[in-house]
Amino acid sequence: MSDANQLAVHGWKRSTAVALAVLGTGWAWAVWHAPLDSVQGVIQKVLYIHPPLAFAAYAGFIGTALGGALFLARGHERFDRFAAASAEVGVVFSTLMLLTGPIWAKGTWGKWWTWDPRLTVTLLLYLTYVAYLLLRGFTEGSERAARFAAVYGILGSALIPLNYYAIELFGSRALHPDNLQRGSLGEGMGLPFLLGVLATLAAFAFLLVRRFELGELRAVHAELRARAALQEEP
Amino acid sequence: MSAFWAVLWKDLAIEWRSRDRFAAMTVFALLVVLVLYFAAPPSLDAAQNAHVPGLLWVAYVFAGVLGMNRAFAAELENDALSALALAPADRGFLFLGKAAASFLILITVQALAAVFFALAFSLDLWPVAPQLAAVAALGALGISCAGTLLAAIAVRTRYREVMLPLLLLPLLVPVLLGAVRATTALLATGSLPWPAVQLLIVADAVYAIVSFLCFEYVLDE
Repeated sequence: MSDANQLAVHGWKRSTAVALAVLGTGWAWAVWHAPLDSVQGVIQKVLYIHPPLAFAAYAGFIGTALGGALFLARGHERFDRFAAASAEVGVVFSTLMLLTGPIWAKGTWGKWWTWDPRLTVTLLLYLTYVAYLLLRGFTEGSERAARFAAVYGILGSALIPLNYYAIELFGSRALHPDNLQRGSLGEGMGLPFLLGVLATLAAFAFLLVRRFELGELRAVHAELRARAALQEEP
Repeated sequence: MSAFWAVLWKDLAIEWRSRDRFAAMTVFALLVVLVLYFAAPPSLDAAQNAHVPGLLWVAYVFAGVLGMNRAFAAELENDALSALALAPADRGFLFLGKAAASFLILITVQALAAVFFALAFSLDLWPVAPQLAAVAALGALGISCAGTLLAAIAVRTRYREVMLPLLLLPLLVPVLLGAVRATTALLATGSLPWPAVQLLIVADAVYAIVSFLCFEYVLDE
């Protein structure tokens, strides 16, 4: 890579990071000035962070399953590196989601955790993807790890609808509201929520790209080392 | 299809000659029942024992995971797993053969564990034995299908005995939920709740189809 090219890449990263910081600041400002909820009070402001984190987490898991399926179908290692990056970033966002959720739940439902269907399915999904990352870590050989992880990722996402159905059938009653409809947010709450979704998804995409690049660099590094080792042999 | 019968016959013959898996699973299931009895002793008030039949599934799942861990252990010796992968047969049928052998071993263990469980918790399982056997078999089918696929993965990783339950348990939730609900309702009312059985059948079908299709990718060339 030439110096100019490298500079361009770094320039791209820096401007994206600056844009993210501006978006994040705007979001924080909007959340600060958003009206207080008449029933829940200040705790309701978790709304501006919790669902956006959930959207990003689910995007990560969808990306993992898609990357895995494409890897099995096409065999390009890039797809696997995308799946791995997506799972890692998805687990980070779902950890944050699982941390913010109980704060809100304690304030409104009165307890840190309930076995609401959506909570239960999300927790299961989280555990599945943590196991996915452990599996990647414990498997030797990148090609084998990629195949195993792809199969596990596909099996994990195939069960999402089934888990949901099962838990809704037998679990406790749902506490989460149904999906947000237009106009279900109070006046003045739409903009900060929208900014929250945008900022979180932008941060997700930024981290995903950075993590994917890291995987690419690692692959290049491994290849260079293997080539150097070959040359050293007499 | 002949690969299916060959693998099934091979696994059952090995098990019949050694009885390693069967003995280990049975003793382990009995120990789990013992621990459950001390951890959650049944109350004299029958109304407070509604959860007890569901406990049976704790023993079933633990014994199942233990057995699945051994499903591919023998294949590692002399690199028999590579030979299996090289067999000129559809790998889906290899999977079905392995899963069917595990299924047959697991239901035998389940039957023995159920007898011990009934004695320990003073339950009269005899009047509902056919329905209970059907639920146990549906649950065992799910455990063996998902377990066989994931055991083939776990056996090629580091910490393989640890890896399998981590991979398997989050995915077994639909089967466990259906099985526990069906067993509890069966013991309480004497009849099977159809939604729970339906859930078991659907979950088993999903595991079986996905594992049949994906087994191709978990064997090394």
